[in-house]
Parts: sequence; structure tokens; C-alpha cells
Amino acid sequence: MSNNIHHEGSGDLTEPAKNIIYSTDPADFHYVSVNVPCQSACPAQTNVPAYIRALYEGWYGDSYDLNRIVNLMPGVLGRICSRPCEQKCRHGEHELGRAVNICHVKRAASDHKDVNHVLLEPLFPPLGKKVCVVGSGPAGLAAAHDLSATGAHVTLLEALDEPGGMLRYGIPEFRLPRDILTTEIESILRLGITLKTGVRVGADVSVEQLLSDYDAVLIAAGCYTSKQLEIPGEHLPGVLSGLDFVMQIASGHSPEVGERVLVLGAGFTAFDCARSALRLGAEDVSICIRATEHDLRVTEDEIYETKREGIRIKGLIAANRVVGQMTVEGVEFSRTEPREVLSSGRRRIIPIPGSEFIEPADTVIVAIGQGAEPIPSPGKKNERGVLEGDPKTFRTSVPRLYATGDFNTGPTTVIESLAAGRKAAERIAEDLTGKKFREWSIRIQDAKITDRQRSWDFIPRQEMPSVPIENRLNPCPTVEIEIGYPKGQALEESKRCYLCYLHYEIDISKCIYCRLCIDSAPRDCIKLVSEVIVGRDGAIQELVETSDWRNVSAVVIDNSRCIRCGECVRVCPVDCISVSKVELVERALQGGGES
Amino acid sequence: MTARHVVIIGNGPAANEAAISLRTQAPDARITIISKEPIRYYKPHLLPDLIAGKVSEQDLYVNPLEFYKENDIRLRLGQEVVHVSFATNEVVMEHKEVVRFDGLIIATGGKPRIPEPLQVFEDLMLSLKTLSDAKVWKERLRWVDSVLIVGGDLTSLSFTKAVLSLGKKVYFILHGDSFWPVRFNEELSSEVSQRLSDRGVEVISCRKILRLVMASEDSVEVETDGRKLRVGAIGAFFGLVPDVKFLARSGLAIERGIVVDEFLRTRFEGVYAAGDCAQVYHPKLRDYWVSIGYRNARNLGRVAALNLLGGQESAETAPAGIFQLDDISVNTSWWTEF
Ligand SMILES: Cc1cc2nc3c(=O)[nH]c(=O)nc-3n(C[C@H](O)[C@H](O)[C@H](O)COP(=O)(O)OP(=O)(O)OC[C@H]3O[C@@H](n4cnc5c(N)ncnc54)[C@H](O)[C@@H]3O)c2cc1C
Ligand SMILES: Cc1cc2nc3c(=O)[nH]c(=O)nc-3n(C[C@H](O)[C@H](O)[C@H](O)COP(=O)(O)OP(=O)(O)OC[C@H]3O[C@@H](n4cnc5c(N)ncnc54)[C@H](O)[C@@H]3O)c2cc1C
Ligand code: SF4
Repeated sequence: MSNNIHHEGSGDLTEPAKNIIYSTDPADFHYVSVNVPCQSACPAQTNVPAYIRALYEGWYGDSYDLNRIVNLMPGVLGRICSRPCEQKCRHGEHELGRAVNICHVKRAASDHKDVNHVLLEPLFPPLGKKVCVVGSGPAGLAAAHDLSATGAHVTLLEALDEPGGMLRYGIPEFRLPRDILTTEIESILRLGITLKTGVRVGADVSVEQLLSDYDAVLIAAGCYTSKQLEIPGEHLPGVLSGLDFVMQIASGHSPEVGERVLVLGAGFTAFDCARSALRLGAEDVSICIRATEHDLRVTEDEIYETKREGIRIKGLIAANRVVGQMTVEGVEFSRTEPREVLSSGRRRIIPIPGSEFIEPADTVIVAIGQGAEPIPSPGKKNERGVLEGDPKTFRTSVPRLYATGDFNTGPTTVIESLAAGRKAAERIAEDLTGKKFREWSIRIQDAKITDRQRSWDFIPRQEMPSVPIENRLNPCPTVEIEIGYPKGQALEESKRCYLCYLHYEIDISKCIYCRLCIDSAPRDCIKLVSEVIVGRDGAIQELVETSDWRNVSAVVIDNSRCIRCGECVRVCPVDCISVSKVELVERALQGGGES
Repeated sequence: MTARHVVIIGNGPAANEAAISLRTQAPDARITIISKEPIRYYKPHLLPDLIAGKVSEQDLYVNPLEFYKENDIRLRLGQEVVHVSFATNEVVMEHKEVVRFDGLIIATGGKPRIPEPLQVFEDLMLSLKTLSDAKVWKERLRWVDSVLIVGGDLTSLSFTKAVLSLGKKVYFILHGDSFWPVRFNEELSSEVSQRLSDRGVEVISCRKILRLVMASEDSVEVETDGRKLRVGAIGAFFGLVPDVKFLARSGLAIERGIVVDEFLRTRFEGVYAAGDCAQVYHPKLRDYWVSIGYRNARNLGRVAALNLLGGQESAETAPAGIFQLDDISVNTSWWTEF
């Protein structure tokens, strides 16, 4: 185990480690992708069951570390992550109730860890290479961190006064307190990264110059060009750009808003604009969306809190024009018809002719999205003049020049851009040295059934305590709305996790086909099968069920249906069901592996 | 379509009217009604009378069980649908059973609406939507002598009458835009206030409910921005919202309700929505609306069934008013706002 990251898979710290295997077999990766849905849904592949279990056992610091080794900012993400894991959590399957509040548990680990919690990092010896990272948002910070840990000398250039990107200049303080952000950024920077703020690449220094000064340059400059509605009246006084609006507030220069505010847009920015407008004194705020509330990508909690503050969400309407003489007086909308969900995840929307109506407004905030801002540089550009990077290798057409994060993909989320930053760093380190530094593998370890009780499956999802409505705007409109779980509530929520990293398997050679396990199963997770169909990568693709005893060739646990309750193990009279822990882990390859 | 197996989710007026229209038009179709309530089809508008002791539970029921037998309509009661898969045409039940369908009519009605700012107090408030809610009220009213009603929908008015008839004290907080299913305006508000006061109800004017606390087993303490009081029970009456959350991940377009066109068609072939759960776009109104009301529900159930069988009937835009209240006349034909 000497070459492992210290904390990997250490969820059950009380359990002696035995029989650990690291596998890079595609079948095992496939297994995890199907069976640990939360971890596979996380762009950074955070080991969710392990950190939830660590918290349950009272190891807050370990729980934090299990996050930090892959996502670097658990305190930040525990507040504002878009939570793709929760969409896929098995507990949220149709007849099983609601998803685990994975993100709130992350925050609890961060809140309750020891104040002197020591951070441990695998650090490689110096490489003798210099890398410049442009932009200090989550993508740039993550890349700078990993490159620095790999041994590169990293300079981080930032156009604005402080680091953090949209974390500091987009997301409002009432969702993300700045002291938490600053601490976690400091923890990244102190690996020896040189941060230079107030340097706008393309204006203060050219990309060509950087390419001659450094061994590699990574552009992680985010998306700062607001999309326009391209409808009449858009330039009337009283129409504001959503991004400018939040950035001005974050910089301490809050704009003025009227009494009635319409926010056009459906993403994080639209919601933050609406809630910020309320805090600046608006009386009547509505978010106007073309599709429906159920198609929104912001989290359920955010929709709930937004509505609780009195903001309305008006669905199925599309803006045609802004109306007004000297200044904004309202917006003309059409009703829309929702059609199918496209491969992009967005719903196709058709405006309904003849359904026009006017909604009065004093201020209109347009928050319909952003695009990357072109930075003068050599290399192939897209139609908007923005440098193009390969989505997988992050390489541009210019050797040693890379692009990542939202700059490379268009607007995404913090966890996606952060994961992209880490991947780009790995690629750069490999390109510079011909060596691999980190590797993902499947760690398989014997385990026992846990102390989880079936009754825990019925614990209600623990709601996040929040500041009462009447104390949100006054006296301090930047007060953090979500209070965080107290320890007891965090423990209750952690009990809800099925621990999908546990793998249950029946040893057919010992099975006496008594079917006691099937009788005790909480759902159709144990199957009588006539055939197991295996795919090209060696992974189980399909179980062909049969109800005819003559055709039964095995009793099989369908791990994709299993809720890890352990009942089958308890009732098996011949002890033929084994349990193992199967985790996707990132390992530092000591000394650098072959590329 | 030669409907083979039509599944109807729901057992209210929309569902029952759909079932019987299907049976009349398609004698060979297999028809299944699935409902999460474990009881027969009943009239919700009689629930306040049940609470007042004016009618018995038997008076609520619409059809005897033999009716379904005679019409060969399969009733699955006490079974909740938790998901519908349109890729495989399957309805998934809470008890894990899967039922295949060739045609589907969703008629799941509404559920009590609690505005977001009050949702934190949800556990301390009672509502009135189902027979089992009415039974909870009946039991509670045996022990307490005062009730606070917050909101102010049409149901709340008949409920208030029922509570007053039992000799209980009623407090009422009329809530801004909650008058359901019509829009609440100054004029209506003062008319309702006046009539409530005339009947001996204490109407409390306040902007906000700040706190609700369980003071003892049979009393709740209420703190508003104006005063504090202690009551035996609190009723939340903010109208209904379509009960369709279980479909949010199914691929159907859900806004307030299930979005359908004037023929009550959803995006999926052979799948219709009717009654309080449907959000209908009507070209004549140039807007979406969600219908509320017993008669509307029946009408929409019938239209959905006919169209599922190949008809082209449009949902009416101007049906009769729905609530017959002796002392307040309100036009409740359709409502478009929540
Ligand atoms: C209002 C708002 C709210 C959001 N809320 C959430 C949320 O709750 N959850 C979530 O997951 N995501 C949220 N997002 C999205 C998320 O913030 C972004 O996806 C993420 O920050 C992108 O990271 P990045 O590092 O690629 O870019 P950014 O965070 O944008 O960072 C880019 C950095 O590059 C700097 N830069 C730009 N040009 C130059 C230049 N020429 N020279 C030097 N430096 C430069 C910028 O100043 C900035 O610091 C939100 C976005 C906005 C706008
Ligand atoms: C107290 C009260 C008084 C009223 N008074 C009047 C009045 O005086 N006049 C009037 O016109 N209207 C009145 N209404 C309104 C009227 O009752 C409704 O508009 C009407 O019942 C709507 O019919 P529906 O068939 O659409 O839905 P509902 O009657 O609400 O029926 C919905 C059915 O769907 C079932 N269901 C829901 N979800 C699921 C699921 N997931 N799986 C399986 N089954 C499910 C429910 O069990 C129920 O059987 C009143 C309502 C109430 C609650
Ligand atoms: S139950 Fe736990 S391990 Fe399983 S998907 Fe949900 S969070 Fe992940």
C-alpha cells in the first residue's frame, strides 16, 4: 500500500485492511460506473460512500480529506455544488424515496472537522518545469494545485483583484461566505504557487510572451461575454446584463433596481440575480423561463429557497421585445409549448403564435448565458474568435498552449470546470515529462456487512436549516442563508446512504438454492437467472431471468438493484454470500509511471 | 385506436368519467383504474358536511363496487403510482409492481398547496383534500374548541361553516393571493372578510405568520407580525396544485400540471391528462389554464377518453361555474394563476 494516497477508501477506519487488490480491468470500471452511481456522476469522481461512511463514524477530518483529494474545495462545494451525484443517487430511485443529501454531508464534514485539521498531500519532487495558468477560477486553481503538487513551478495570472473567478465575482455571498472561499483558496496557493492579480493576459502581457517565458501555458479564463437576447428594446435604460449585475455587487458597487424586476434566464446567474435584486430593495421579482421549473438545472434547494423569499418563477414564456419609451416599462412575452428533451439536456421550446402578452417591469435583468471572451493569441480559433482546445487532451493547435474549464467548453458548473482543470494539469505534466503521475484504479477489498439497519432506509431526508425569511434581507443582506447541519442531523443523513460501494455476491458453488435470501430481499435485487450475458469488456451486461426451476443456472444479486441492506447475508444458512468494498480511487504513482 | 389496455391513474371524477366513457365507446377495452387512496370514488365537496356531521361516510360514495364489476372496470385501490416509463409503456407502483398499458389517462387531481414561506410549518397545519384528511379533522374537532384558518380558498369557506356549526371559535387569516380558484382582489377580500365577520369569525389582519409552535398536545401557538394567539388547530387552505411530481423525471412536460393541448394530448402517443392535474393550452384563451372543480373534471375525463379512442374533441373553454356557494357568487369557470 506504500504508493497509495494516504486516505483513499478509508471509510471504515476501524476495519483492518486485508486482501486489497488494485484493478485497472475495464470490467471493474464498468462495474463501478453502474453500481456506485453517485461517484460515477461526479465529474471529479468523489468517493461519496466512503466520505459519508467516514462522517457516520465520526471522522469528520477524514471525510473532508476524502473529498479534498479529488475536489480540492469541499467547504465551497458543500455549499454551491450543482450536485449531479444526487440526481443519480440510488436512494432517489422511484420506489426508494429521496436521494441522500450528499452535498450537505460534505459541508458537514467541512464544518465539523477539527479546527487544526492537518491537510496531507502527496507531493512529487520538483520537476524543473515552469507552467503559467491564466485565470484563477475553479479550473485554474485546480490545475495550478495539481501541477504544483506534481513538482512544476506554477504562476497563476488573474485579471481581477482577487482570485476565485465566478466563485468570488459571480456566486453571491449569501450562498458562499468569502472567508470559507478564501481559506480553501489559500490552502491551494500555499503549495508554492505564485499568484499575480491585476494582470489581464492579452492586454498586460501577450500569450506569445508567456509561451516564451514558460514551458507550458494553460488558459482557464472562464466565460465573461454575456449573451444578448437580440430582441427590440434590449438597450433601453433599465435593462441590465445579469453577469455585470452580480459582478458589480460582488465588487461592492451595487446597481440600483426598480420595484418590479423581471429576470430573463434559467440558470444559476438568473437565480442569483433575482435573489440579489430582492436584497437591493426590489418589491416584486419574477424569474421568467422558456421551459418549465422541472427543466431547470439549478438545485432543488435553490428553487425552494428562492420561492420562499417570495420570488415567482414564471414558466413557459419567451420574451419577444422589451417595451418602453425612455426607459423600460415591461416585456412582451409569448407562451411557449414544451416539446421533447434534446440530447443537450435542454427541452425544445416552441413559441405559440398569437399568445403574446405584456408583463410590466421597472428593471429587466438578462441572464441567458455567457460565452468565452476572445484573448489575442496564436492558434486555431472558433467562429467567435476564441482559442479552441481539444475537449479530451486540452491541447490547442499551438504546442505547449492548452485551454480548460468554462473557457474551453462554455458555461458549466464549478465541479465540472474544477475536474477539467485537474485533467488538463495531468495532461500537461505528462506532455512535459513523458510520465504519468496519477492513476485511477479500482480498489477491491474484503469487507463485512455494516451496522446499517433496514430502518435507516426510512429516515426522512434531513432538510437544511436556514435563516428565517424575515432575517434574510435585514439587517445583513449578505448573511449566509443555509446554516449547515448540526452534528446530529449530519449523522442522521449519513445513515441514509446505502453505501453502494459494498458489493454482495453469491458463491454458486456453496448455494443450496433455498431461496431464503430472495424471500428476505427488500426489492427485486436477487434473481433466478438462466443466463448471465457478459459484454466485450468482461462486465455483466444483462441477467436473463427465469421463473422455471429447470432453467435456473444461478441465484444472482443484481448489484444495480441492491440497496446493500445485508438481509441476504444475515439469512443465508450456508454463508455463501460474500461482501467486498469496491471503490474507484486515484493513486499517486510514486516516482512517475510510464506514460 | 383499438384500445387494448387503458390504464387510468386516479379515482376521482375525471378518472371515473373517463372510465365509463371508454366502456361505452369501446366495449372490448381492458380498463384499469389505479388509485392511491384505498377507498371508492367519493364526492370531495361533501367533506365539509361530513365534518359537520350532516352526512355520513356512505353518502359520499358515488358508485357501488358492483358498478365496476358490471362495467368490467378493474379497480386497484390503495396502490400508488410512483413512475411512468414511456419508453416501455409501463406504470411503476410503489409496491414495485409494473403494469403495462396501451393507452394511459392521468387523472391524479390536485394536492393541497402550501406556499413556500409556510412549508417549514407544514407539520403543524392540517389541510382538507381527502376523506382521510376529513377524518383527522373530525377527530381533532372533538378535542379542541378553536381553529385558525390561514389562506382563504373556496373550500375554506364551506369548511368554516362546518366548524362554526359545531360551535367552535374560528379565527381566519386571509392571505394575499391565495383565493383559489379565482384571483383575490381588494373587493373580494373585503366582501369575504365582511361575511366571515357577520358569521362570528374573527378575521385577523396580518402580513406574515412568523412562528407556529406546538404548545401542547392540543394547542398551537401562533405569532404573526401583529399578535400572538393560541388555537386548537390550524388549517391551511391555499387551494390545490396538480399532484404530478412523481412524473417529473418521466419525460412528460410538467409545468404547474401536465402540459397538454386542447385535445388533452401529452407529448406521448396514447397518453392523456384530465381533471385537476392537467395544464391545458387553449388557443381561444391564448393561455394555459388548470381547471378546478368537480364538473370540469368530469368533462375533461370524458374528452380525454373520447380522444384516446380517436376523437377530436376540444376541451370546452367556458364551462359552468363550479362552486355553488349560497352567499357569495363568484365566477370560477377557469383559473389561470396560482
Ligand atoms: C452568478 C453565477 C452563479 C453560479 N452559481 C453556481 C453554482 O451555484 N454552482 C455551480 O456549480 N456553478 C455555478 N456557476 C458556474 C460556475 O461558477 C462556473 O462554471 C465556474 O466558475 C467556471 O470555472 P472556470 O475556472 O472555468 O472559470 P471562472 O470561474 O470564470 O474563472 C475564470 C478566471 O479567469 C480570469 N480571467 C478571465 N480573462 C482573463 C485574462 N485575459 N487574463 C487573466 N485572467 C483572466 C477571470 O477573472 C476569472 O477569475 C455560477 C456562475 C455564475 C455566473
Ligand atoms: C374539500 C373540497 C371541497 C370541494 N368542493 C367543491 C365543490 O363544491 N364544487 C366543485 O365543483 N368542486 C369542489 N372541489 C374540487 C373538486 O373536488 C375537484 O376539482 C375534483 O375532485 C377534481 O377531480 P379529479 O378527478 O381531477 O381529481 P381528484 O378528485 O383529486 O382525484 C385524484 C385521484 O387520483 C389519485 N391519485 C393521485 N396521485 C396518485 C398516484 N400517484 N397514484 C395513484 N393514484 C393517485 C387520488 O387518490 C384520487 O383518487 C372540492 C375539493 C375539496 C378537496
Ligand atoms: S445511497 Fe449512498 S452510495 Fe448509493 S448512490 Fe446514494 S449516496 Fe451514493
